[in-house]
Amino acid sequence: MDALNRTLDIVWPARMMPYTGWALLMPALLLVGLLVLGLFQMADSSLHTLDRSTFLPSENYTLENYRTVVENATYGKIIWRSVLGAVLTVFFTLLLALPYSYIMVRTSSSAVRKVLLVTLFLPFFIGQVVRAYGLLIILGTTGVANNALGLVGVEPIRLLFNFPAVVFGLVQYMLPFAVLMLAPALTAIPRETETAAASLGANWLQSFRHVVIPMAKPGLIGAGLVVGTLALTDFAMPAMLGGGSQDFIANAIYDQFFRTADQGLGAALALMLVVLGSVFVAIVISIFGAGTLGMGGKK
Amino acid sequence: MTDRSAAQYAPADGAREIAVRASHVSMDFGGGVLAVDDASFELEKGRFLTILGPSGSGKTTLLRMIAGFQKQTAGEITINGKAVGAAPPHRRSIGMVFQRLALFPHMTAAENVAFPLKMRRFDPRTIPDRVNGFLELVKLGGYGNRRINELSGGQQQRVAIARALVFEPDLLLLDEPLAALDVKLREEMQLEFRRIQHELGVTTINVTHDQREALVVSDDIIVMDGGRIQQHAKPVELYRAPTNPFVAGFLGLSSFVEGKATADGDLQSGDLKVLGVSAGDVTEGVPVIAAIRAEQIRLARSAPALGACEMQLDATVIDTIFEGERQMYIVEAASLPGTTFRVYHHDPEGFGLFDIGDPVAIGWNRRDLKIFRHAAE
Ligand SMILES: Nc1ncnc2c1ncn2[C@@H]1O[C@H](COP(=O)(O)OP(=O)(O)OP(=O)(O)O)[C@@H](O)[C@H]1O
Ligand SMILES: [Mg+2]
Repeated sequence: MDALNRTLDIVWPARMMPYTGWALLMPALLLVGLLVLGLFQMADSSLHTLDRSTFLPSENYTLENYRTVVENATYGKIIWRSVLGAVLTVFFTLLLALPYSYIMVRTSSSAVRKVLLVTLFLPFFIGQVVRAYGLLIILGTTGVANNALGLVGVEPIRLLFNFPAVVFGLVQYMLPFAVLMLAPALTAIPRETETAAASLGANWLQSFRHVVIPMAKPGLIGAGLVVGTLALTDFAMPAMLGGGSQDFIANAIYDQFFRTADQGLGAALALMLVVLGSVFVAIVISIFGAGTLGMGGKK
Repeated sequence: MTDRSAAQYAPADGAREIAVRASHVSMDFGGGVLAVDDASFELEKGRFLTILGPSGSGKTTLLRMIAGFQKQTAGEITINGKAVGAAPPHRRSIGMVFQRLALFPHMTAAENVAFPLKMRRFDPRTIPDRVNGFLELVKLGGYGNRRINELSGGQQQRVAIARALVFEPDLLLLDEPLAALDVKLREEMQLEFRRIQHELGVTTINVTHDQREALVVSDDIIVMDGGRIQQHAKPVELYRAPTNPFVAGFLGLSSFVEGKATADGDLQSGDLKVLGVSAGDVTEGVPVIAAIRAEQIRLARSAPALGACEMQLDATVIDTIFEGERQMYIVEAASLPGTTFRVYHHDPEGFGLFDIGDPVAIGWNRRDLKIFRHAAE
């Protein structure tokens, strides 16, 4: 133990102690620094248009790419679709995740809890692309869903390659994240508080509305932020379940970078996405306050 | 195991109303050990009952069954004649203050107090006045807009009480709500409970393991141990006339002497006859255990200085403990080897009269030593 302390004294003398915190922050700062560097490079390339004759970026700086994004109706539609998709995904995911995690946290039967956890995690392990394939099979015209509908006499309907299918896929994909973020928030609510609400005259619905949801608010907001940003920037679900007709921003960026090789336009779209995501987070934080997220400070 | 019914406290005209009645209530969590074992009692309207017992004696379990949060495995509990459990919890008229208070942290003090009124659909126009009235009652007028985490422990306690009382429940239940407070604040809140309870006249059941609290606040006390009701009596009676050795030992500080019962109800230990009175059915020759409280033993330099005492013994000081307002001596009587007596001695001026090893005399009056049948029999 003594030897260890002596070594420590040489490597990190006591007078350096006040800087220990900064030293520990270094890896994170490096990582963020790299990201910022990348962002600057993106910003730079977004200011050059692609010269179609030489397939090289233009020499001079121009806002042409941004004009394209703003003026081209296709991109407007894609941005609007991404935002709407993200908002709907957040709404439905939280709607499903709240009761799911509530039952998981509150059930007195450990068997029920285990079943809920396993059901939650199995698809989690499989990965997004494989899951999207699974959904393709289930929702296909001859898939399980349509077969089931057929049993009650409904004609096969097209469940895939439309906007609801993408949102469905996203919700299905996001549910474990949301449950994982909500569970600790719900665990933190003492059971006694709900018993108290009941003894004061609240039925379970009132108790849920006036006590559980307000007390779980930090968890709900955190989960909403994570689900919202992940959905807004998602690639696989719109690509696979949308079948090319339901592109989100990430798909458009992919196309620019890897199909048309128009780096400038791709970069402009990417920066738009960064701005959109930041605005979304900023709005949520300004409405609810950083304090509710447990980040200190008052509302 | 005396099970005193509330009947003995009936006023002369006999007009008494029973608020809570438990008959042969048991709770089996499985595993064969009963958390509550055949508990029966009655509580009159407007009275303050304390359930007192050591940790794990089944107090909380009994209280939760009365509140209807848990269903007993045997027996019946009625509140104002109606069986508990007939209505879901939110339809019952029971105010409860929980051990960890269970206040709503996202609401202000006033919103907490208003919560039951809103849930129970009180006329919205009357709610603010009512909330203010009850905040005044618990001496928190002007604190209504504070958030719960902006209040001190004692103030939070008061909010919890106001919240439990504001809808005028038939019954108020308190589950050790004072346990977390420091001694000074706890004593202050005990008197506060008493004042509020007298002011409103609400029937109250309080759970505690603090004997002082039980004696200070209660009209009636039930002592529990191992899930069984050991004694149900008024505070003074419980303290002065315990009906079994557990109660004698749990309240106050007692010393115990073991022996056999004599024909005239005293205790025989070896050659020595120890004078006392027998409680319960003690017949000649049965093994008995006797208890006497520390403040009921007199202590002096020598036997003549004891004054008139029916029982007198020579003893030696084994240890002395200074407790501030009094001195406690642990002494051993020469004629009762192996038995130690704990004796309080008030000496407002001196600095401790006796030292370890000093020869002393102890004595008591016959009525103060209680002789019980030995529990093992
Ligand atoms: N839900 C439960 N399941 C199984 N056993 C329980 C349960 N609740 C209580 N018990 C057992 O019942 C007995 C009485 O518990 P209870 O909580 O009523 O004690 P208590 O008198 O309130 O104690 P304390 O002063 O420590 O709060 C204990 O032995 C406890 O282990
Ligand atoms: Mg308890």
